[in-house]
Amino acid sequence: MTRIPLLGRRRRALPVAAPAVALALALTMSACSQTQTTSHKSSADVAGKEVTTIPIGDQKIRDGGTLTMGLSADPDALDPTTSSSLYTRYVMETMCQKLYDTDAQGAIVPMLATALPTLSDGGKVASFAIKQGVKFADGTPLDAAAVVTTLKRDLTKSDSARASELGSLQKIQASGKYQVTLTFKTPFAPLAASLADRAGMIMSPAALAKEGDHFADHPVCVGPFKFVNRVPATSITVEKDPNYYDAKDVHLDKIVYKIITDSSIRAANLKSGDVQIADSIAPSDVDDLKADKDLTVMQVGSYGYQGIQVNIANQHGVGTPPAQIDTPLAKSAEVRQALSMAIDRDQLVQSVFQGYYDPACSPISPTSAYATGASKACPPYDPAKAKKMLEDAGVKLPLKIRMQTTNTPSSLQLAQAIQAQVKQAGFDLQIDPVEYTTLLDNDDSGKFETIQLGWSGRVDPNGNTFNFLTTGAGNNYSGYSNKRVDQLLTAASSTTDTAKRAQLYGQAIAQVQKDNPIIYLYRQRNLTGVSKKLAGVSVYPDGVVRISGAAFLAQG
Amino acid sequence: MARYLLTRLWQSLVTVVISSIVVFVGVRMLPGDPAVSLAGEEASPARLAAVRAELGLDQPIWVQYAKFVWTYLHGDFGRSLRTGTPVGEMLRTTLPVTLWLAAYALVIAVVLGLTLGVIAERFRGRWPEWGANGVAMVGLSVPSFWLGLLAILLLSVQHHVFPASGYVPMTQNPVDALYHLTLPAVILAIALAAVVMRQTRASMIATMQSDFIRTDRAKGLGRRRVLLKYGVRNSLIVVVTIVGLQLGGLISGAVVTESIFGLPGFGKLTLNSVFTRDYPVIEAVVLLITVGYVVINLAVDVLYSVLNPRIRVAGDA
Repeated sequence: MTRIPLLGRRRRALPVAAPAVALALALTMSACSQTQTTSHKSSADVAGKEVTTIPIGDQKIRDGGTLTMGLSADPDALDPTTSSSLYTRYVMETMCQKLYDTDAQGAIVPMLATALPTLSDGGKVASFAIKQGVKFADGTPLDAAAVVTTLKRDLTKSDSARASELGSLQKIQASGKYQVTLTFKTPFAPLAASLADRAGMIMSPAALAKEGDHFADHPVCVGPFKFVNRVPATSITVEKDPNYYDAKDVHLDKIVYKIITDSSIRAANLKSGDVQIADSIAPSDVDDLKADKDLTVMQVGSYGYQGIQVNIANQHGVGTPPAQIDTPLAKSAEVRQALSMAIDRDQLVQSVFQGYYDPACSPISPTSAYATGASKACPPYDPAKAKKMLEDAGVKLPLKIRMQTTNTPSSLQLAQAIQAQVKQAGFDLQIDPVEYTTLLDNDDSGKFETIQLGWSGRVDPNGNTFNFLTTGAGNNYSGYSNKRVDQLLTAASSTTDTAKRAQLYGQAIAQVQKDNPIIYLYRQRNLTGVSKKLAGVSVYPDGVVRISGAAFLAQG
Repeated sequence: MARYLLTRLWQSLVTVVISSIVVFVGVRMLPGDPAVSLAGEEASPARLAAVRAELGLDQPIWVQYAKFVWTYLHGDFGRSLRTGTPVGEMLRTTLPVTLWLAAYALVIAVVLGLTLGVIAERFRGRWPEWGANGVAMVGLSVPSFWLGLLAILLLSVQHHVFPASGYVPMTQNPVDALYHLTLPAVILAIALAAVVMRQTRASMIATMQSDFIRTDRAKGLGRRRVLLKYGVRNSLIVVVTIVGLQLGGLISGAVVTESIFGLPGFGKLTLNSVFTRDYPVIEAVVLLITVGYVVINLAVDVLYSVLNPRIRVAGDA
């Protein structure tokens, strides 16, 4: 399920401050002082307010210039139909606009479409109009037929990664020159959210006809910038597109995405000025960057999560019928609940991530429109009770469990912190560090007892729950199966009323927290380092760093 | 002679074929296939199966191998599974970077190593020798990724002397290209320079105590002249041998250096392709290295046999 290894590779020792603080405290108290000092900062203090946008506002800008962005991973094929990398979305943001977009609050807004889809026939037919007078980078005009060509490719291409995001889509029609009508077998609530992601990126039909399967060699879409070239594993360059319909709001001449996978080297490049913006800053580098007078750090909570997947019944690979595994952890929901209660999530994010990440207990982010009291609930941290539950379950203590994790220093540090915490409740956690692709393979094939992984998150809650928690679903790595959860999540995915949907998700999560197929741990924040010479940058909760409207400030 | 050449050519061909099989089977034995890596966090059994079918990974391995050989014989190295870029193009863009980097590093290593080695000999038992020894010890024992990070922090972040990353092609602007390559080349060169320094020093000490040097000195030649003209020249033989042996290390060191400094080189390509299980790229890269080694070996053997007829006789036997 995760597929995001922990960001940040810089090795950092666990804080040794705790004993020092205790000593300092004891000293000050014995001196009868009223002032207590503590270095243990609360999450809110350190992380502070979310910063989603650095607006241009009234500042004087200069047109032109080349912006270099440090990208933390190499995108995969620059093809909206087949891509499955988050970083491809970063690059596509400047050269491949979508039918819809997400705004700072996570709401869906029209981009190439003119309004949200209108639904009819009980939600089975969706219709929307698209902007007129828009041209692709190769000069081809954008019309409904082009949208149909793209969506058909997304739906039918054999290696499409989009087909599953389009629900039960059956018919795609151009019902007018600029009007598209989609017909579904069953109502599909997350449609607009899907079209605000890669499924909504419209490709030039002329380029598709010319390049076919090799569209990624020379991607052509509608966007403020157009593709120039890609140097393997090194950089991707885009330049201002004169055909863009809103060219007056485009200030830069060129953007170079430079791939720098090591987080401390990304930070160093920011400080030296070689890159002016970089994504996925490691929490351990944030304070250092903030202290630099030329830099600032944007932070936005993500819709994703990190957690521990417990293998309950995945014996023959994900997607096969569940086959119960015969260990106390797999068989007993109480034992899993005890494990969840043995983890002090607040302390975890403090000690491992300097408080820049947020504790999490559910797949639905508290900032989501679908968050409810039920989805925000957290099991109490109570190691004593956890131990009692283990004893009541008749488990011989200490209970040995193995946890696989990626072999990066920060993943290991997290695993060690968890290991130390759960020991108090009677768990003997053994850590198996595994190389990333191998870890994914073990996850798929069920070769694990527990795995520490996460999920990058989607705007619509369906994308964060359904495939992971319903029986036999494609990403249900735990082999979890609960009829009630299946029903609730299925009902939620076809309910279009926000309040009703939120309630259904709340009920499903309450059940999931009893069963704990995934023990949710924390939610990352998207930490983006930005030069103070730059404005017009935003990062929204979908995690994509938006730089197409960026500009350099005029000097002086 | 012709027969010897034919034998050697035949042996080389067999070596290449065997290594192609080893590489082909080897990468497929790594846990986690490209479909898993490609599908990333969005992997579902249906998607994985679709990707495998698309890539031909669901076919028997000998069918895959036959296809692989067939396309190679047609001069087509396939396309990257991850990005869809033709592998031939990837090799063409990345190889020059690594070759320039390695050549530059080699020059730095030899110049630095020789100089320090000679200084160490000339000032034996005094502080310049200790200094040179210290530099060599640090160069050998401190890992290059750490030195690279320190260099970036000091020379790029604090004092903007060199860029922290980036690459300018030699054909575009040689001066700028060398400027961008200097820091990575120095970091790559340091370990080799240390080896060269130690060898030079040892061989200089031996040479300077040998009879012919004593004779030269006895004939009234100045110490400096003897040192530079006869001592250094004699030690060069050792240095050349060492450098030849260490060339492979230079290429593998480039993997680390290129990653740190964001150079679009061969080493970085190799590393990335292994991490993402990009089979066509791994195969092309490893085969290219194999062929490189085989060709050099062949050339050396042929050269030996030209120089030394006894080897030719052995080959004929």
